[in-house]
Amino acid sequence: MGKKELKVAFLLALRSLQRGSRSSVILTILIIGMCFTNMIFLPSMFNGIGQSITRQVVDYEVGNVLVSPKSGDKYVADIHATLDLINGMPGVERATPHFTKGATLKYRQRVLGVSVRAISPNDEKFISPLYTKMVAGSYLGDADIGEVIIGRPVAGDASIRQEDEFQASLGGVRVGDSITIDYGNGYVKDYRVKGIYFTGWSQADSAVYVTYTDMALVDPKALDNAESITVKAKPGYSEKFIKNELLAYGVGGSGKVQTTADLLSKSMGRALQSFAIINMVSLVVSIIITTVVLFIVITIKTLSSRKQIGILKAIGVDKEVIMHNYGFQVIILGILGIILGIFLTLILAAYMAVNPIVTPEWSATLYVTPLDLFINSVILFIAAVVAGYVPAYQISREDIQTAMRS
Amino acid sequence: MIEISELRKTYRMGDVEVNALDGINLEIAKGEFLGIMGASGSGKTTLLHMLGLLDEPTSGKITIDDVDVGRLNDYEKTQFRLYKLGYVFQDYALVPDLTVMENVSLPAMLRLDRTDEQTQAGSFEVLQKIGLCDRRDHLPRELSGGQQQRVSIARAMVNKPDILFADEPCANLDSENSRLVLELFKEINEEFHQTIVMVSHEDWHKNYFHRIIKLKDGKIVSDGTNGSSAH
Repeated sequence: MGKKELKVAFLLALRSLQRGSRSSVILTILIIGMCFTNMIFLPSMFNGIGQSITRQVVDYEVGNVLVSPKSGDKYVADIHATLDLINGMPGVERATPHFTKGATLKYRQRVLGVSVRAISPNDEKFISPLYTKMVAGSYLGDADIGEVIIGRPVAGDASIRQEDEFQASLGGVRVGDSITIDYGNGYVKDYRVKGIYFTGWSQADSAVYVTYTDMALVDPKALDNAESITVKAKPGYSEKFIKNELLAYGVGGSGKVQTTADLLSKSMGRALQSFAIINMVSLVVSIIITTVVLFIVITIKTLSSRKQIGILKAIGVDKEVIMHNYGFQVIILGILGIILGIFLTLILAAYMAVNPIVTPEWSATLYVTPLDLFINSVILFIAAVVAGYVPAYQISREDIQTAMRS
Repeated sequence: MIEISELRKTYRMGDVEVNALDGINLEIAKGEFLGIMGASGSGKTTLLHMLGLLDEPTSGKITIDDVDVGRLNDYEKTQFRLYKLGYVFQDYALVPDLTVMENVSLPAMLRLDRTDEQTQAGSFEVLQKIGLCDRRDHLPRELSGGQQQRVSIARAMVNKPDILFADEPCANLDSENSRLVLELFKEINEEFHQTIVMVSHEDWHKNYFHRIIKLKDGKIVSDGTNGSSAH
């Protein structure tokens, strides 16, 4: 195939698209665009959910690396020395202890079982954006005793009757109200609600937070023990690096060291596997639809132009030129469809960034990377080219007489 | 220039064999304006298609400019058609999505021995010849039947082929447009000495031909110059 032949094939393709049936061209581009969007939407949505869960687990549960008790132990012991050690390591932004106790909250006639999480409020600011999620009142201070911050779902809404509640609550606690926490070990204490927060992460929102100092009064084990230590990495340092550092410095002797990825692969491994299967099914269906549609479009085009194909061959146009004419048409339609698909996907992503899907467990947006767009574009382009070239190849091989008589 | 010997074409229709061409022997000289006439089904178009390498004979031999065209492969036949032959079809057969200029230029664009400028100039020249320069940017559907057939002739002429084949080019035209088309063929034949082989069933067309062969049941039943006829 020489340059001249390719030029003629391209001219024929371009003119056919420019001056042929406009509605057919628009419809084909629209179908390819929607197939592209369909190909990328579900995986991006699952990616978005995964990213959202990961981010929230990092922000409100484990930081980048979690030091938890060794098997058989209930607590990470000697936390002051351990924290000093970790905080002095390169790449560590901050390490902070967590201590959680199950308790019962009482407010007027309402009783609610919750987790009470003890934190070091100022250190926690380096680990978690919780302090930015206050919807009423203010965040805890390190020296606060007898004060608590509670999640909005725990506080509840006074305008909703108890029997109508989706999630059990205290029925409308406000900042400044007093609630009673019964720790179940015989320790019952009244707290003033200092603030109400909402993070969107259900495990954090259904808990209440007190200071570590306060928890030490409730349970003296908190004086030198932690249920876990969360470690935040400085920007540019990987979780794996921090984990290796911790193990190298001997923190592994005090507790089990795991990265967020380690923890998520255990807890979400099956979910991720299911996501991958659904993504694959969605991808295959989209490719099949695109391939079939383009195959039908080009087959109809070639069949309705059989006589013209015969004439072109008769006046000396080679069959390769005729085949590439339809090939170029599919390439142009494919590229325009993919551009439309990228445009639709970006519009959807922008819309969902403003209006994320919010569930009681997590909130998620469409997570689309340039690599996703590129890979899906290439896959769809190849499918389109194959779908176009097969009928074009078949029809271009037909003998002149058969074509001209059609 | 064109030599045909014992040319046969047999079609099978179920169990019946139909001899569309039955042992044709013919020589066509360079610069001749040959008319192939005969009733419907006599084998006129089949013979034209054989000569134009659009169909394969069942047996027999066709030699054009000393080339046994039966021995050419598919690609060589395409190149032969492109460089040496031109076609004018009954129904004009223009590409509907190309303008007049693009339709005319199409065969020339594929020639390796022509630059883009030469292609443009050559196309413009033939459009001038047929008097449709002012319609060069129009699409075929914007032209009358007569104009479309003239564009078809221009397309056939653009590569200055040695032989021009025309398959009932006036079949869809009124008598005035038919006359214009035949005059154009006559001019081309006289000016460029191109061999023209034309199929027709209109009796008055024979006034334009140098030589007329009449076919009946796939055989030549008469072969003579205009005004005289001999076996």
